[in-house]
Order: sequence, then structure tokens, then C-alpha cells
Amino acid sequence: MGSDRDRKSIKPSRRAVLTASLSAAVGVAVARLAGLRAFDERIAGIEAQKLLGLRPSAPGAPVAVDMAGAPESMPAAIGALAPELPLPATPMLPRPGAAIPPTLAVSGDASVAAPGASARPLPAARQPDAVTGGAIRGASYDWDSPLGSESARVAQLLRRATFGATDAELERALSDGYARTVDRLVETPFADPPPLAGADDANQTKPLQVQALQSWWLDAMQTSPTPFGERMTLFWHGHFTSDYRKVGLQSPFMYWQNQTFRRQGLGDLKTMLMSVTTDPAMLRYLDLGISTGRNPNENYARELMELYSLGVDRFSEDDVRAAAKALAGWREPRTQAMVDALNARAKPGAMPAVADPGKSGVFDRARAFSGTLTYLGKTGSFDTEAVIDRILAQDATAPFVVRRVLAQFVHRTPADALVDRLAARFRAARYDLKSLMRDVFTSPELSSPESYRALVKSPIEFMVSVAKALGTTPQLTRAISGASSGMGQVLFDPPSVGGWPRNEAWVSSNTVVARANFVTQAIGQTRTLPAGVDAYKRHLDGVVGPATAELLTNATDDRSRWSVVLSSAEFQLK
Amino acid sequence: MALQGIEKISRRDFLRNGMVFGAGAVGLAAGYAAVPDVFARAVYAAKRDGATNDRILVMIQLAGGNDGLGTVMPLGDGTLRSLRPTLGRVADNALPLGGGYGLNASLKGIKALYDQGKVAIVNGVGYPKPSFSHFDSIRVWETGDPTRRQQDGWLGKTIEKNYDSAGHPLVGCACGSTGVPGALADLQATLTVVNNQRQFAFDGGDMRDRAMGALYRSTPGMYGALFDTSVATARDTMAKLRTAAASYVPKAKYDDNVRLVYSSKNQLASALQLAAELIVSGTGAKILHVTLGGFDTHQQQAARQDQLLAYLDSAASAFYQDLAGYGMSDRVLIATWSEFGRRPRENANGGTDHGTASPVMLIGDTVKGGLYGESPSLTALDATGNLKYAVDFRAVYQEILDSHLGVDPREVIPATYDRVPFIGKRAAS
Repeated sequence: MGSDRDRKSIKPSRRAVLTASLSAAVGVAVARLAGLRAFDERIAGIEAQKLLGLRPSAPGAPVAVDMAGAPESMPAAIGALAPELPLPATPMLPRPGAAIPPTLAVSGDASVAAPGASARPLPAARQPDAVTGGAIRGASYDWDSPLGSESARVAQLLRRATFGATDAELERALSDGYARTVDRLVETPFADPPPLAGADDANQTKPLQVQALQSWWLDAMQTSPTPFGERMTLFWHGHFTSDYRKVGLQSPFMYWQNQTFRRQGLGDLKTMLMSVTTDPAMLRYLDLGISTGRNPNENYARELMELYSLGVDRFSEDDVRAAAKALAGWREPRTQAMVDALNARAKPGAMPAVADPGKSGVFDRARAFSGTLTYLGKTGSFDTEAVIDRILAQDATAPFVVRRVLAQFVHRTPADALVDRLAARFRAARYDLKSLMRDVFTSPELSSPESYRALVKSPIEFMVSVAKALGTTPQLTRAISGASSGMGQVLFDPPSVGGWPRNEAWVSSNTVVARANFVTQAIGQTRTLPAGVDAYKRHLDGVVGPATAELLTNATDDRSRWSVVLSSAEFQLK
Repeated sequence: MALQGIEKISRRDFLRNGMVFGAGAVGLAAGYAAVPDVFARAVYAAKRDGATNDRILVMIQLAGGNDGLGTVMPLGDGTLRSLRPTLGRVADNALPLGGGYGLNASLKGIKALYDQGKVAIVNGVGYPKPSFSHFDSIRVWETGDPTRRQQDGWLGKTIEKNYDSAGHPLVGCACGSTGVPGALADLQATLTVVNNQRQFAFDGGDMRDRAMGALYRSTPGMYGALFDTSVATARDTMAKLRTAAASYVPKAKYDDNVRLVYSSKNQLASALQLAAELIVSGTGAKILHVTLGGFDTHQQQAARQDQLLAYLDSAASAFYQDLAGYGMSDRVLIATWSEFGRRPRENANGGTDHGTASPVMLIGDTVKGGLYGESPSLTALDATGNLKYAVDFRAVYQEILDSHLGVDPREVIPATYDRVPFIGKRAAS
């Protein structure tokens, strides 16, 4: 099976190659693998020998991912900016133990992904997961991390901090470099999307349309000049959950909450917690708006601590009861439009309702609790701010929030050392979210090999990144909102107060079908596809597994190439 | 035509390539830290070939914490009225079960089955040191482990220990869901999740189907095996569903209550109809899981719980009638579960806050109908004002595993509990 000069042959990821090498070692001709035609058999022999000396982890043995200890070779690698743009071949990244000739990358095809790391048994599976409580099983060979190259790090940053990138966004970030891109992401104030017509005046007679609300936000995710703001808004939406089913659409509350997440998204945690506690949608969603000091409703008090700030088992049932009393007294605000609609329906002679001026809850002292409480170990009188302050004084709060952030931006099971380090800085910075996110994006752990493709894109992230890759923003909005329920992520409608699941929970027999079908639909709706030959470099870092390599090698037109790239496992990861 | 390249590749001998990678993968099998999904098939093939009996289990999760005292109520207990000045009124219309208990008036179909001896109700089911967190308590019920050490779901573990899933992708299936429920999570990649069977196929025809079948093979990385087996399972499931759909015509009327689907987010009737389809058309389904949400009734509980229970009642009744019409109700057990019951004292918003013990309902012809366990005292509440449980939920699991499914419960639930003998017709084992 000679090499075909007409078609580019795409090399699979290094460890994929190693798998094949082992096949050679056990007597199966590696050259039969169409995707590996360009593979240098001389190297295959070397690698096969190396591989046989590899010590696999014992079946069933728990292996921890020690992220903190991992990037010992990283300092040399960081800054190894490859010359070509947009995504150059991955530069060599020798690591201890890697006896790989530096010339390996050049095998007649400058576009291939060069292998880099030594064979390293993947620290797979059954680590306890403090975030999700889950465990997954992994392959014994890992992606060949290209994160030694700055361009790959930039591309990863855009996948994690935003929703992937359009060609223009990618090129700008590559030309700015990693550090300047981080600066731009965290320092540029988040742009408000154009207002949704009629949303501020939603009322009983003219309710919000949920489809319009979803489209409005999806448009923003695709076209915002500050897509990091949309990503943070989505993060907070999944953290401080509310859903339109309980909150209802006969008010602007769900629309306002979304704006609050964007405006407070990179402020400080105290302001965020105060805003969320008195957020009209939240007052409705977790019943704080009907709770009184005399008859407290525990719903919000419990979830504020368990899901939003402290974590389970960090407080007692007495603390729930105390917080429920201390937080009581808020009610939902009413807009002029809501009041007008109410008054129009009121019986003649009834006292007309009066509008409230603000967009947050109204505090009614008469319905509040007055007295002394013992809350989280301190006795005194507590108002809402005092409750929040008490929460922020707990040692558990910063690690809890940091872990939730890391599980979506860095690794599904962030190492305790990373959590503790960032949590200490977060608290020292008075819970400043901008500092936290800067720390996240500049942490060496983010660019360690263990973090490479260590997260699964949520359905919304996946679909928006498809639209960006195809350059069809925002024409795919309708298709995205239509496909979202089949993948399990409907905007403004998280499945429970705990928000959406993460990472491996997004991959099931059901969702792989739904995702593949969305790709087919998206390609079908794209009038002019961008050139597909380089799509695997731009969107998959040029690092692909054996099956993807084979299918791409044999793809002869752009529709097929895009179909493979966007459906690939590589593209589902970030 | 559009997918020319893929067509070309699909004409290649994938099987051969698959064997090449397969050989490499087997060689690396020792490198997998756990029994990996890709090799699960081989592992299971070495076990028993399929099940030894025809018993099937369908778990219905009532998510959010179903109020037990509003479901099965002690009619003679005056304390109920004083703790629940407004909510206690549901007892006025309760359907008498005998023994001083009444069933929520919305559960008419289940009451009719109860009268035929096909429903067992175990009262006061809970566990020690109860958690009031939805997610924590759901995990306890899902793993069968109140100490929170276990990661695997009790249903998943049951499948792993007892059934051959080779060629039977539907041995464990979450119906009407997009993700894997924790109770089934042990075999995450080898069980199937079907949200909507009508949409469960790759658009784009055979070429796309074959390309997708090849695309995730030997995917590297920690999620690699998950992708690989998810798509393999999906394609096996599609093949099964194609034949299943052809041979199934529902013998009962399933109605999804649109208004309630809206609030609960789960189409229970559709999910149960899918379950019936999988069961009667011989797909090898053994353990199925469906969910009805919306039970977190912190306010205005009376109307909402009534509606949700009515929805449960109509869906479960249709499911039973459908199976009975196919002559299969003698092998299927339907069991409800919820992460906790609710506080005996109602709150000021006509709702109840998170509580503890609540009843479990078991429906089917293998059941020995009647009341089991005991309703916890309303006067001897615990320090948090909640019910003290009477029956450990693991005793219920134990009876389901041992007597209904005919498998060794100790492989899933290590400790042994006093038997709650609600299964009358034991499985052959």
C-alpha cells in the first residue's frame, strides 16, 4: 500500500501510533492500516520495542492524576512558538525518557502532527471525583499533547474560555499570542447583547417567548465580541440555576437573570451571591420570595449553601433553618408592564397595584425575622448580607467554587493541590472572579499533558463551536436550539437545581447519535463550506486518533472532511 | 455522493482494520485500570450466556423527593391533621387500603391493581443518618450505600455481576433520557440510553452509519473507550430497535400529560411505552430505568402532587395493561423510588421541606400484594422533625434481587437485612 501523493495522509496521534506499533509487535502488519501509511516503519520498530518495556498499570488499580506534578518539562516548552500560522505542525517536545529522533516529524508531509511525548500509560480511571462523584474508564494510551506549542495553547484557550473560534478569532488570538489573549479575555468588559425586543415588558398578557429568549442568547454566544462573557454567563447559569418552567415567562425575570450573570460574571463572589439571592427569578425558583421570618421556607437557604457556595456536609440542618429565617423578607419586584396587566384584570374598585423601581427583590422588613440566631457557629442577628459574609468566612467556600470552575475549564478531576492554591489566592483577592479566571488560564496545569482533551464540550458548547468552525454564525441558531433537548442541554431549563452534569455525563449512546445528526444538519444548512483540507489542523490541533486519521485521509471532498472533523471524538473534547 | 470519501473508506475492509486495532488493544488490555468497556464484551462472553430466567425490572424514579404522607397516609392518625392543616385534607378523598391506611386519590389505577393483589407497598423506607440534599440522597439510593463510598449504581452492578451484555445492548437501558442515571452508571458505556426511539438513527443513510461506526474506534484518551463503546452500543441498539418497532403495537393507551411533562421535564408515558416496546419485542432488556421529576414541592404541594401522582398512575397502569395484553406482566416488576420523603409538618406556603422516609410501591404479577413495613410514628419524630425510617431501602433492593430477579443480592448489597417478603412468585435461579 504505497503512499498516495494526491492525498494528504494524516498521521494519528502519537499514542494511537503506539497502539498500532504494538499490533506490529504482536505480528499484525502495521502497514495495513490505511491511516498509518505515512508512518515510518523504522520508528514503528523502535517504538514497539519501547512499548513492550512499558509498565502498564495493574487492572483495577486506582491511579491518581497528579496534575501538579506533571508539567516538569513544561517551562522549556512554553513559548516554543511555532513559526507558521494558523496552526503549525506541533513542534517537538522532548520529555524525559522520550528517545525520539528530532527529525521524525518530517516524513514527507509537513502538515502532519508530529509526535512528541514518550509513551506514558494514561493515568486512567477510577479516581474518586470530588466534583461529580463519578469515575470513568479510559484508554491506556493518551492523546499526544501539542500544548508545548503556544499556538496549540491559544487554540485550547479559545475552546475553554469561549466556544471555539471562527477563523478570524483564531487568527487574531494566534497573532496576539497567549498572554495577550488572556489579557484581552479577562480585561475587556463583557458586552451586553442587543436587547431582546419586548423582554423588559414581559407580562401576563405578553409573556416572554422561550424560543426567542434562547435564540437571543445563542446569537450572542456566536457573535458577541466578548464570547468569554457568554461562556461565563453559561457557567453561572449552570451554577446558580433557575428554570423558566418554574419561574414562568410572564415577567422579564429569566431575561434579567441572564443579564445579571453577564454583568456580574467577572466581579466578585460576594456581589454575585447578593445579586443571586435577591434575583427575581431566583426568588421565584427557590421560593425565597414567599418565605417569611415567621414561616421560613428552607429551599433557597439549603441550596445557597449546598450547591452555590459551601458544598454538602459543610453545614448542619440547624444552619439551614437559621439561614432560612435570616434570609426571609424578600419579595419579587413588579414592573410597570406587569402591574398594568394586573390592574387591567383587577375587579373594579380594587386597589391598583404599584410598580417597583428596580430589577431585584424588594425587602419587606415586616416579613423578615428579627431576633438572634446561631448560624455557622456564630450567634447574633443576621440579615442577608451577614449570611453571605458568614458563608464567605468559611474555609470551604473558596475551594468549592474553585473546584466547580476547574471542572469546566481545566480538568474533570482537578488535583487538590491546584484547587487549594487557586482557592487561597481567590480568597486573598477578596473573592475577585477576574483574578480567579486569570489564575485559571495562566496555571501551568492548564497546559499540562493531563489537561489536553480532558474535558467534554457540553452540547451548547459543541453546537456553537460547530457554527463558528463552519463560519455560519448565527444562521444555525434555530438548528442549535432544536437539537439541544436531544443532547440534554436546554438553555433556561437546566434539569434540576444542581445544574447540568459535566464531562463524561455528556457522552452516551443517545448523545453520540444526536451530536452526529446535528453535524449532518449543520453541514447541510451551510451554503458555502470553508475549505476542509486544513480543518483538522485548525480545529483538532492536527492531533487525531487512528480512525479519524483514516477517515480523513480517505475523504475526498469538503463535506466529508467537515463531517469527519466535526463528528470526531476530538472535536467533542476541548 | 456528498460523503464520497466516507463511502470510499466504508468500502474498505473495516473488519480487518478493526482486528488490527483490536489486537493492539487486547495487547494493551492490562493497561486499562478497570474492566474497560471495549473489552467488556469479551469479559461477559466468558460469563454466562444471558439470563437464566425471564424476569425484568423497571425502576421508576420520582425525582425531587415525593411526599410519602401524601401518597400513602395513616387515616386514623389525628396528628397528621394537626401537622398539616391544609395538606392533611388529601386524606378526605384517600382510597382505603385497609389497616388504617389510604392511598392518594389520584392513584386509582394502582389501587385497582392493589385490590387484585398485584401491588405491594412498603412503608417507612429510608436509611440511617439521612441526607436532606437531593443529590446526596439520590446518590445513596443509586449506589445502595449510605456511607457514600460506592461509585457504581446498584442496577449497573447487578448487570455487571449477572448478565451477559454481549450482543444484548439493551440489557440495561435508560428510557426517555439523554444521559445515564446513576443507578445504572456502573456500565456506563455498555448500557443504552434512548431518549426517543423514533430519532434513534444516524441521519444520512448507510454511509454515514458506517462512517460513524468506524470514527470512534480506538479513540485515545480518558474518554476514548466511552466514545468507542457509546457508538457501538448505539448502532447495536439501532439494529434492535428496527426489529423491535416492527413487532410491537401497544395494547394500552399511553397519554403524556403535556402540562405535567412541561413541569416535570420527563415524558413518563412515552418512556414506559418505549420500555414496553423493548420488553415485548424480545430485545433482551432486563433492567430499565425511567424518571418522573417535579416532586420537590416546597410550595402549593396539594395540587401538584395530585397531578404528578395521577400522571404516574395513568402511565404505570397503561404499562401494566400493555404488558398484560402481551402476557408478560408475570415477569416484569415495576418499582418506584424517590430520594426522600418530605417533612411531616407543612410549611407556610402550602408545601413541605425535605424529609426522610417514604413508601416504595411495587407492582406486578410476581408481587404478593399488601402493606409491608410500618408507617413511622408522627408523634415520635427525630430531632429535625422528621420521620424515623422503619425499613432500610437495601432490604427492598435485596428482595428485588433475590426473589424477583433470582440473582445473588450479596454481590450488590453486601449486608443482609430482614426479609421484606413482597415477592410472592420467586424467580427460578
